[in-house]
Amino acid sequence: MSELLNTLMQDARVWQGHRPIQTSQPAEPTGYQVLDNQFGGIGWPRGALSECLLDAPGIGELHLLLPLMQRLTRAGKTVFWLNPPHIPYAPALAREGVDLDQVILIHTRGEGDFLWTLENCLRSPVTGLVMAWPDKLAAREVRRLQLAAEAGSNVCVLFRERRYAEQNSPAALRLELEPGDHQDLKIHVLKRRGSWSGQRCALAMAQRADLAFREAPRVVHGPWAGSRR
Amino acid sequence: MLWLYLHFPHLLLDHIRRSRDNAGALVIVEGSGQKVIQACPEARDQGIRAGVRLKTAISLVPDLGIVRADHKQEARILADQALWLYRYAAHIVLVPPDGVLAEVGSLQRLYGGLPAAWQTVEHALNDRQLTAWMAIGHTPLAARLLARSGKGECTADQGHILRSLGQMPLLAAGFDERTCTRLQRLGLNTLGEVFDLPPAELARRLSPETLARIQKIQGTRADPQIPWQPPHHFRQQADFVQEIEHAQGLLFPLQRMLGELEEDLCWRQQDTDSLLLVLHHRHQEPARLRIRTSGPEHRAEAFLNLLRLRFEQQPLQAPVIALVLSVRRFIDREAPSGQDLLGETRDLNEAWHTLVSRLQARLGAQALRRLSPQADHRPERAWSATEVDRQTRPARTDLQQLPRRPLWLLQGPQPLTEAPRAWFAGPERVSGGWWDGQRVQRDYYIAQLHSGQLAWVFRDVRDGWFVHGWFG
Repeated sequence: MSELLNTLMQDARVWQGHRPIQTSQPAEPTGYQVLDNQFGGIGWPRGALSECLLDAPGIGELHLLLPLMQRLTRAGKTVFWLNPPHIPYAPALAREGVDLDQVILIHTRGEGDFLWTLENCLRSPVTGLVMAWPDKLAAREVRRLQLAAEAGSNVCVLFRERRYAEQNSPAALRLELEPGDHQDLKIHVLKRRGSWSGQRCALAMAQRADLAFREAPRVVHGPWAGSRR
Repeated sequence: MLWLYLHFPHLLLDHIRRSRDNAGALVIVEGSGQKVIQACPEARDQGIRAGVRLKTAISLVPDLGIVRADHKQEARILADQALWLYRYAAHIVLVPPDGVLAEVGSLQRLYGGLPAAWQTVEHALNDRQLTAWMAIGHTPLAARLLARSGKGECTADQGHILRSLGQMPLLAAGFDERTCTRLQRLGLNTLGEVFDLPPAELARRLSPETLARIQKIQGTRADPQIPWQPPHHFRQQADFVQEIEHAQGLLFPLQRMLGELEEDLCWRQQDTDSLLLVLHHRHQEPARLRIRTSGPEHRAEAFLNLLRLRFEQQPLQAPVIALVLSVRRFIDREAPSGQDLLGETRDLNEAWHTLVSRLQARLGAQALRRLSPQADHRPERAWSATEVDRQTRPARTDLQQLPRRPLWLLQGPQPLTEAPRAWFAGPERVSGGWWDGQRVQRDYYIAQLHSGQLAWVFRDVRDGWFVHGWFG
């Protein structure tokens, strides 16, 4: 086989249905047992885009990235939050062991600024992780970002609405996130470069509100009228 | 002592010519605007000579660039020349309006002889596209007279210098008109003939001042000079003949100015993190642009990139007639520490500063922020955002003792519109702010909404229910 073909196969640019290959694409472990050890290891791909599709904040989407944030900031890499919808709460991040000196919050005004900033962050060697909340992105722009991500070798996670799940996207990893019944996070793998998609799993995320070790709710006195749970 | 005198015959012309990228004919006219006093080679090729009337010049070359001579401006440009000359010689004297004097006798050993020192200065002049007539004299005045007559030679021989001076006509010797006439009436035509007169007679027949001047030229009377001191800050100005309407046109002169800044910073062995650029307009208040880098920087390339970004964001308000670049803040260079010698850390540090400076230049310094927890019980005051700068903050050690908080905090509390599906923890009473008038009294609960979101909700004293954060 020619060299070009070999490269295409190894980088998992060509999808081979019969042979899920172990990609040589570098990836950062997610820090979650289920994701890292099953399904051949879903990691956050470096030098490529990842997408998290979800409807509303507060379902554990940040906790999904927290182990990565902790590891990267301790290693001295910078984590950028680009146009987050709410305020990343500093005391909570500090408590979770994220080094806030390495966290930079950026707010851009125009659409052009957003793409420019994201591209610049992605190309820089100091960046470890970029988390971005775009307003709306045309497929062409996602492609442009994917190219910028390939120029660097850092993790870029775009948080988008779930209705984009139907659209195709050049991102290397696409996860659909939904809240579960027990404060857990249900993950549906929509796309993985070079492997089968469609896996579903649930991550226990109750620890994000210290609910893990207490079966019964800890409400001392119900504020509500009528029935107490 | 030996003195090197640099006479700049058309300094203003040189100064303006090097700030323009097209080579059109250019003349300097005298203050009243009637007569051409300096003309550049392109203008001379087309027949304009110094001394012709401005009207004649314009009819010869219709698209002539015209600059009016301005003494203040000339004095400033002259001081700029002293600035770079200071790198080669320590003792410098400004001789307004068009000369700079440098003591070179003590430099012979440093440069390996007088010719080498002479060549060094000549190279520096060429680099800066300046025309200067140089001369060496054993006294300041001797050097000045020789330089102005254009007969300067690179020699330390006092006899030779005096002989050259002796052949100089009286008119070129710089006496005032009355003295000159009186000397000519005595039948003297060259400076050498005046030197031969007995001093006592000279003082009696002419004036003591004339004698003093002649003795100062000869070196028999002391001629103390006030040394020039370099300023503590950097300042460069470019003046334009034609107004510059687009920011692109400013980049050409800026490139040269930033190059000189880099050289200056290298000589100082210092860095800077803020540049001030003042753009002068004809009819408007000058515009001031402050360019900040996030860390110490000295490379012209880096400054130029930031400026380019800035100009893309902020187009010019009006055409620019002059540009001033100044730097007042200098930072000592840090010696590389042991860790940096391994190579990686320094590069990353630099890359970090480059990235942050780029982002700040385009988005504004306010757009980038860093978060930190604050010691306050009220959730909205328990954090702060500051501009990104290079200081690293002291690490806090008691982070693990912070209470459990959600990762998302809403910009402001939002009314809770539905009854939550499940309650998990609470209440946690937060009461404070009586000391600064921002009183807060709330009971916080953790609850799950029907959408599955885990919310941080509170009830205030008026029994209103609000969402204040999401457990993301």
